[in-house]
Amino acid sequence: MLSFIFRRLVAGIFLVFAVSVVAFFLLYAGGGDIARRILGQNATEETVALKAQQLGLDQPLITQFWNWISHAVTGDFGVSWFSSQPVTTSLSSRLAVTLTLVIGTTIVAAIVSVILGVLAARRGGWIDAVVQFVAVIGFAIPGFLIALYLVLWFAVGLGWFKATGFIPITTSFTGWLSSITLPIAALSLSAIAAVAQQIRGSVSDALSRDYVRTLRARGLGMNRVVYRHVLRNAGGPALAVLAVQFVGLLGGAVVIEQVFALPGIGQLTVSATSSGDIPVVMGVVVATAIIVVIVNLLIDLAQAALNPKVRLS
Amino acid sequence: MFRWKATAAVLAIAALTLSGCASSGSDSSNGDGAKGETLTLGAITEPLTLDPAGAEWGNRSPYYQAMYDTLLRATPEGTIDPWLATEWSYNDDNTELTLTIRDDVTFSDGSALDADVVVENLQRFKDGTSPDASYFTYVDSFAAPDATTVVITLTEADPALLSYLTRDAGLIASSDAIAAGDLATNPVGSGPYIYDASSSVSGTSYVYTANPDYWNPDVQHYNKLVINVLADATASLNAIKAGEANVVKVSSNDNLAEIEAAGWTINSNELDFAGLLLLDRSGEMNEALGDVRVRQAINYAFDREGLLEGLEGGNGTVTEQVFPASSAAYNEDLDTYYDYDPDKARELLAEAGYADGFTLSMPSSTILGSTVYTLVEQQLADIGITVEYTEPGSNFISDLIAPKYPASYMTLEQNPDWQLIQFMVSPSAIFNPFHSESDELNTLIAQFQAGDEAAQDDAASQINEYLVENAWFAPWYRVQGNVPSDANTTVEMLPTNAYPAIYDIYPTE
Repeated sequence: MLSFIFRRLVAGIFLVFAVSVVAFFLLYAGGGDIARRILGQNATEETVALKAQQLGLDQPLITQFWNWISHAVTGDFGVSWFSSQPVTTSLSSRLAVTLTLVIGTTIVAAIVSVILGVLAARRGGWIDAVVQFVAVIGFAIPGFLIALYLVLWFAVGLGWFKATGFIPITTSFTGWLSSITLPIAALSLSAIAAVAQQIRGSVSDALSRDYVRTLRARGLGMNRVVYRHVLRNAGGPALAVLAVQFVGLLGGAVVIEQVFALPGIGQLTVSATSSGDIPVVMGVVVATAIIVVIVNLLIDLAQAALNPKVRLS
Repeated sequence: MFRWKATAAVLAIAALTLSGCASSGSDSSNGDGAKGETLTLGAITEPLTLDPAGAEWGNRSPYYQAMYDTLLRATPEGTIDPWLATEWSYNDDNTELTLTIRDDVTFSDGSALDADVVVENLQRFKDGTSPDASYFTYVDSFAAPDATTVVITLTEADPALLSYLTRDAGLIASSDAIAAGDLATNPVGSGPYIYDASSSVSGTSYVYTANPDYWNPDVQHYNKLVINVLADATASLNAIKAGEANVVKVSSNDNLAEIEAAGWTINSNELDFAGLLLLDRSGEMNEALGDVRVRQAINYAFDREGLLEGLEGGNGTVTEQVFPASSAAYNEDLDTYYDYDPDKARELLAEAGYADGFTLSMPSSTILGSTVYTLVEQQLADIGITVEYTEPGSNFISDLIAPKYPASYMTLEQNPDWQLIQFMVSPSAIFNPFHSESDELNTLIAQFQAGDEAAQDDAASQINEYLVENAWFAPWYRVQGNVPSDANTTVEMLPTNAYPAIYDIYPTE
């Protein structure tokens, strides 16, 4: 078990390194006149040259990469070219926002999907039809559209929640809730659609298995059978789908963050990429790669805990 | 286990509903009393740095103005008033500006303002990487002969210098903070508000509290100031409708009716002109553009009213001049110099020897949308000019001034006269990348630079006439910039800046 974790971590480190190298050279290949972009249309050629020199852009690419990577391994990702803020500072504050959204959405999606999926599989009939319908709707309507309607009704109309901005949990708990509820609600629907379908399928599949009949024959109640045994078996595939959703949300949160003006990683990535703020983009790339590696590892461990049949080694 | 989860879900939903009720309306400012509680501004862009040596003005001005004072102040009436400098005077040939500095001002770190600090700041701006560092191109030296006097010596007269000192070039930071080296993220000025780094999120939300020792409490209208970056048009509209801001600069004019319906007041000015820059006036890259008749034909090709209606919903004013309406150079008659007349345009092209038309290569940018490029293509095709677009992506501006294109669609700031001339007319101007010039124009520019106010106005109007007649540009209209404010807040716009001054935003009586 420990050696499995160790091997996965080493592989993870290599992955993060490879991603960094590719990202760095791709970014520079598409780069161009970054100093001019930073300074805009008013700056003279002399000022632009001075800025390029300050940023080390006049050095060979390989030197720049060496400078970046040698600092990065010590945890120093440099300073944003556009805001002068240390990359680690803006990353950590923004990761908190995005992870709140993504983890919140994953939890909401997991709970609601299990309830809906199990209901649909056990009861069938109209409940099943409704769940299927909701799932299709969830797939069909884009998250940002849902977000716009939620803002219109619950923030602008009723004034229950905040329409824009983020309040840290340390500042005010109720403020924090009011700033993340609508974004999480908007993000959850499509995740629920995906996972609920999966759970419905696996549960109804498991319900027709022999072991369920055996357990029922021994006099176990249906609830006990479903929650103790069936879900255990159905949980594996559902977890895998949930993990995919989680990683997808890291990127998918971009539009929601824009609509709600939330200071998240997605928004940072978009603005940094479009402006050419390479230190920030590199920071985002590395942080995201690390998160993906960790999530995958955790999912593997959770699979093993759920189902001892899954052998890790 | 699952019963527990279900209970938790119910509790969470209850908490959410309660919190929603509790939090609504908690951060609106009040308009009664002398001072408002919190002023929340929406801006469309974040600051590059909080260090004045790298500062930019325009839409970024409130971030700096909140915590730093400028040497002089630009007023909504269009005048330049005393601020950190109480008096100023030029020598006879306008090459030496002497400023008297206030002696009662302290920075928020407790250190005092004196002439040496001012000189240090001016020098840093000149040597720094502000996009506007060129403002001090004509500066020879800065000196502080005594504690309250600053002398700026110029290599040649710069009629825009006083205006520059009302903007980023005039920002003054604490000398101690400069020495500490972290002004970019830890700014210290003498301004009406003090930056609260711990409550701010860089790139998103900038929080300031009132400076208790501010030397001019008359302009300090609030106890707290928050500037939120609302880059997305939907987000800014939502913030307006939900009452989560008091004043918001909007990036698009598409939602003005909806904003007014929310009970907000639309405050506007017109700073930029939109249209074509016909840069290759000597025909170096595109021979046809070297002929004035071709450039005039291009001017006749555009249905300016239609473009204004189609692209900006009619929010703006049609113009054929690059000088702003507030300038003495502006001449109303010139705005009808080229009426929409495709026949006349085709005639002129034929006269110039391009009866069969020609191909014009121009850059396009997705940032500016696709509609405008289609319209330009159509209107020029109508008179026989084929447009060939290339998309330089994020190198748009560098390619434009490299120069890699003979012409381009663009919006440019209509600065005060001398600034405008330095920006897009004089042979060394950044937006005159082919260095177009003529003896007539050079003489007029020299007259402006050396002359007194009357001579300057006269020279500027002749320059304007020259540019229109020789079709250096094909301007379409002045774009309306809008800074709506809620019912609790009054805003007085500056005629010369995209964002109103912090001092000119106050609680409605």
